[in-house]
Amino acid sequence: MGWLFRTLNSSIGKKVQMALSGLLLCGFLVTHLAGNLFLYGGREMFNHYAKALEENPLLPAAEIGLLLLFLLHIATALRVTYGNKRARPVAYAKTACAGGKTIGSATMVFSGLLLLAFLIVHVKTFRFAPDRSDLYAMVMAAFQNKLYAGFYVAAMAALGLHLSHGFWSGFQTLGADHPKYTPWIKRLGLAFAAAVAFGFASIPIWASLR
Amino acid sequence: MTEKAKRNYTLKVWRQKDAHDAGRMAEYRAEGISPDASFLEMLDIVNEQLVRKGEDPIAFDSDCREGICGMCSCVIDGRAHGPGAATATCQLHMRAFEDGATIVVEPFRARAFPPVKDLVVDRSAFDRIIASGGFVSVNVGSAPDGNTHLVPHPVAEKAMDAAACIGCGACVAACPNASAMLFVAAKISQLSLLPQGQPERAARALNMLKRMEDEDFGNCSNHGECEAVCPKEIKLSNIARTNREFIRASVCSDE
Repeated sequence: MGWLFRTLNSSIGKKVQMALSGLLLCGFLVTHLAGNLFLYGGREMFNHYAKALEENPLLPAAEIGLLLLFLLHIATALRVTYGNKRARPVAYAKTACAGGKTIGSATMVFSGLLLLAFLIVHVKTFRFAPDRSDLYAMVMAAFQNKLYAGFYVAAMAALGLHLSHGFWSGFQTLGADHPKYTPWIKRLGLAFAAAVAFGFASIPIWASLR
Repeated sequence: MTEKAKRNYTLKVWRQKDAHDAGRMAEYRAEGISPDASFLEMLDIVNEQLVRKGEDPIAFDSDCREGICGMCSCVIDGRAHGPGAATATCQLHMRAFEDGATIVVEPFRARAFPPVKDLVVDRSAFDRIIASGGFVSVNVGSAPDGNTHLVPHPVAEKAMDAAACIGCGACVAACPNASAMLFVAAKISQLSLLPQGQPERAARALNMLKRMEDEDFGNCSNHGECEAVCPKEIKLSNIARTNREFIRASVCSDE
């Protein structure tokens, strides 16, 4: 088992864990967004979907799996970031972008930490709401609070920024890089980031304007 | 031939007596500089003036001054090797800077590159990474017959492109994480692509990457700043190849 610990604790091993957990979380975002879009179908449609989801006996296992994915992604990110900060003890007096960095890549830690704060509030508001008898009404009521809706939209902007670098970066870390398809993965990553961010953010905007 | 108008600059240079000194920025005037002077020649001129005044000249690294040795360094105006693509500091000319400009000159900064003096840092961490596996152990005997080792031309080109790395350390200096992945990736790629590199392929990848971590370099997070400043235009795809080499060596080899 020595090789496994050695691999998981290595620099690339940690990055591979970041990439795999991140890409799996991208899959979660797709299913979560698809579910949320039922809100546009009205009270009956959304509550029907939510009931079917919550009655699925595999849901607790999926939720624990999801929690572990998030914990792995966050814990590894903190370990990697600590190592990166440690690697440059004296900062430059002047820094310039040579053309590699993007706003997304340069702010991964900050967008990630904002998303972590959002996740805690989000899970508390919706997953552990005191009254879960009418989930449609609960969501719509929550978004009537302009401050909460604004926080939600800001967090989705951070999510879009995070994915604008994270999606492509995940493939690069896993070694999937070739002139044949890397430009397309980068474009797909940007499109995915925009689609997910706009998709999620559209709901609080629509709900609070109704 | 008409002589080009001389230029004047203000330099903000990092001065640090030795590894134990805290260091500080110092300001100097560089006057009467030809736009055709290289950046290092400009520093030579400033140093001559400092020596004449009885002051300690600015210490900086250089050797071949034609962009092939990897000895010169410096982060100039926030960019490793200064402005301009695919050039080392020795290939940078003063015409790249407007007359009257203020130029900030700092050493390559990384925990793995401890300061020696002023702009000079100790890059021997790279030597130790090479010593950990950046070689092939082959009997060099007599020249092999033609076509004994089959290397398709595109593969030979990729290996040659990776082998162009001069080990200057600009990738580390430019990386927001002070990661040495582009350097290590160039060295691993160059050998893993060729038949002669195959026997030690897995051990080489694991040992060189382990040494890289032990030297306290940061982790690559795919910013691509390294590729942007590299004087030899080493591609980020070498890092992806190295990630594959690492995964292959960890999962599929006996190492």
